[in-house]
Amino acid sequence: MTVAQIVFILLTIVGLGAAFLVVTTRNLFHAALYLIASFFAVSGFYVLLEAGFFAAAQFLVYIGAISILFIFATMLTRTVRGMVPRNSQWQAALFIAVVLFIAMVAMFSPISFSLPIRPDRTFGGVEWQFAEIPGKPGVLRSVPDSSILDFGRALADLNQYGIALLLSGVLLLIGMIGAIWVARERKPREILAERARMAAEEAAEAARQSVGAKIPDVVVAHDSHH
Amino acid sequence: MDIINNLVKNLGDGIAAGIYGALGQGIAADILIMVIAAIAVFAVASGGFAGLTYAERKIVARIQDRVGPNQAGPYGILQPIADAVKLFTKEDTTPAEADFWVYHLAPIIVAVFATLTFTVVPFAPGVVGTNLNIGAFYIIAIGSASTIAILMAGWGSNNKYSLLGAFRTVAQLVGYEVPMLLNMLPVIMLTGSMSLVDIIERQAGWNGSWGLPFIVILPLSGLAFLISGIAETGRSPFDLLEAESEIVAGFHVEYSGMKFGLIMMGEYMNALGVAVMFSVLFLGGYAGPILPPYLWLVLKAFGVFLVLMWLRGTLPRVRIDQLLNMNWKFFVPLSVVNLILVMILGKVFVSDPALFKANGGILIQPLAQALIMGASSFALLMIALAIVTRRVRKDRMAEAAILLQRRETNQQIAASVH
Repeated sequence: MTVAQIVFILLTIVGLGAAFLVVTTRNLFHAALYLIASFFAVSGFYVLLEAGFFAAAQFLVYIGAISILFIFATMLTRTVRGMVPRNSQWQAALFIAVVLFIAMVAMFSPISFSLPIRPDRTFGGVEWQFAEIPGKPGVLRSVPDSSILDFGRALADLNQYGIALLLSGVLLLIGMIGAIWVARERKPREILAERARMAAEEAAEAARQSVGAKIPDVVVAHDSHH
Repeated sequence: MDIINNLVKNLGDGIAAGIYGALGQGIAADILIMVIAAIAVFAVASGGFAGLTYAERKIVARIQDRVGPNQAGPYGILQPIADAVKLFTKEDTTPAEADFWVYHLAPIIVAVFATLTFTVVPFAPGVVGTNLNIGAFYIIAIGSASTIAILMAGWGSNNKYSLLGAFRTVAQLVGYEVPMLLNMLPVIMLTGSMSLVDIIERQAGWNGSWGLPFIVILPLSGLAFLISGIAETGRSPFDLLEAESEIVAGFHVEYSGMKFGLIMMGEYMNALGVAVMFSVLFLGGYAGPILPPYLWLVLKAFGVFLVLMWLRGTLPRVRIDQLLNMNWKFFVPLSVVNLILVMILGKVFVSDPALFKANGGILIQPLAQALIMGASSFALLMIALAIVTRRVRKDRMAEAAILLQRRETNQQIAASVH
C-alpha cells in the first residue's frame, strides 16, 4: 500500500464520518462544523488527484464562503441545541438519496479502486514539481499546471462551456441586484406601511388559530368551487 | 559573495544530503526532511511573531510619546520571553457553558492556518517550502479559514460580546476578501502565473538586466491590496473584531493563558503574512541589489510592517458602516475598473515579441509599457480619490445640516417649556 492510498483511506473516513455526523448530530452549529470537515476532505481528494487549483477553489468557495453563510444563519436561529434532526419529509428525502446513490454507482461501475496517480509521481519523489530556470542555477520554477490552462480555455470557448459561464454570470448578477433591492434604504413611509401590513397579517393569523381548524377547511372548499 | 547569497539554500541542501547519506533514499528520509523543513518554516514565522510583538510595542510607544516595555533586559528586549512565561503559567480557564470542543479547537485552527501561509513564500532563490503553481490563490484560500476559526471562538465562548465580535468578523473579513483577490489579479495577469517564485522573477527581469517592482507598474492595485490586507487581518484602524472600548475584547474575551497566546500569534502571523505577501507581489520579494536575497525579503517585509505599526499608532478606529461602505461602494468597483483597464492596456501595448506575433497590438519596449500602465493606474487612482472626496464632503455637509436643525428644534422646545 502506498502513502497516497493511506491518505486516500484517511480522507474517505474523515469525509464520510463527518458527512454522517452532519445529518445525525442534534446541534445545528456542530452540524455546520462537521460539514466543513467534510468539505475539507473533498478538497484533500482534489490534492490527491493533482488538481491543486480545484482544491484551493473548493476550499475558498465551500469552506470560506458557503459554510460561513450556514454558520451565520445558524447563529441567528433561536433553537440551536436539542433539535430533532428529522421532519415529516424524511421518507421522501431517503427515497431520493437512495435513487441518486444507485444512479451514481451505476454511472461509475465497474467500481475501480485504483487511484489515478501516475507511478512516477509518488510521495517519495520530491523533485517532481520543479524545473530550473535556464541561466539561473538554483532558481526553481513551477511547471505550469496544464489543467488550469485547459480549464480556462474550456470556460472561454463558446463551443464548450462559454454559454454556461455566461448564464451563471447572469444568474449571479440577478442575485446581486435582488440582494441590493432587499437591503435597500427604505423611506419612513414605506417602513410604516410595511409594519402595518405585517401587523394585519399577524392579527389575521392569530384570529385563524384561535377560531380553530374548521374555518380554513371551509375556505379551501369554497375556493375549490371556482 | 555566492557563499553568502546562497547561505540558506546551501544549509538546507547540506542537511538534506546528510539525511539521505544516513538513511538512504526513501520515504523515511523524505518524511524526516519534510518535518525539518516544516519546523524551519514554523520557526521563521514564530520568531517573526516574537520579534514583531516587541518591535510593535516599542515603536507604537515611541509614536504615542511613551516608553514601552523597558523592564525585562536592556531596553526591555527580553519582553517576548517574559510574556511567553507569563502566558504559560496563567490559569487556563474555560467558561462553564462553553461549547467544549469548539472553544478549545478555535485557537489551534487560528494559529495553524496563519502558519500555513508561509509554506509557499519564497525567502530566497531555491528557499521555498513548496513552489505551488497556484501559490497566490492558495494564500487567499487558506486565509479564508481564519474566519471560520474566529466564528468558532466567538460561538464556543458562549458570551454575547464574543458573539458580537464574531458577527462583525463575517461582514468585515468576507467583504475584504473580494478587493484583495481583485487586486492580486492584475499582478497574476502581467506575470502569467500564480506561482510566487514566477511573480518575483517577472519583477526581477522586467527590463532585461534590472527589475521593476509591480508597485511602480500597478500603484492602484498595490495600495488597495495593502488596505484590504490590513482590513483582512483585523488590525487597527480596522480592529472592529476586538474593539476593546465597545465589545470588551471581541471574540477572544473568554480566552486566557496560552490559548489567548495562540490567538495573538495567529493574528500577528496573519499581519506578517500580509506584509510578506505585499513585498512579494508588489515590491519584488527577494530580488534586490548588493545585499543577499533573504535579507532583502526580511527588510521589505519589515518596512511594510512598519507602515502597519504607523497606522496602528496614529489612526482612530473606523465605524462598521464606514468600513462596509468603503469596501462595497469604493474598493470593489474601483478594483473592477482597474482590472478592466489593465486587461485593455495589456492587450493593446505588448512588450513580448512572441505575444505580439500571436495576438497583435502595438509592440513597445517593456519600460514604456510599464510607464503607460503606471501612469494610467495612477490617473485612475487620482480620479477615484477626487470623486470620493467630493462625495464624502457632500455627505458630511448634509449630516451637519441635519444635526444643526435638530439642535435648533431642541432649543426651541426648551425655550417653549421654560
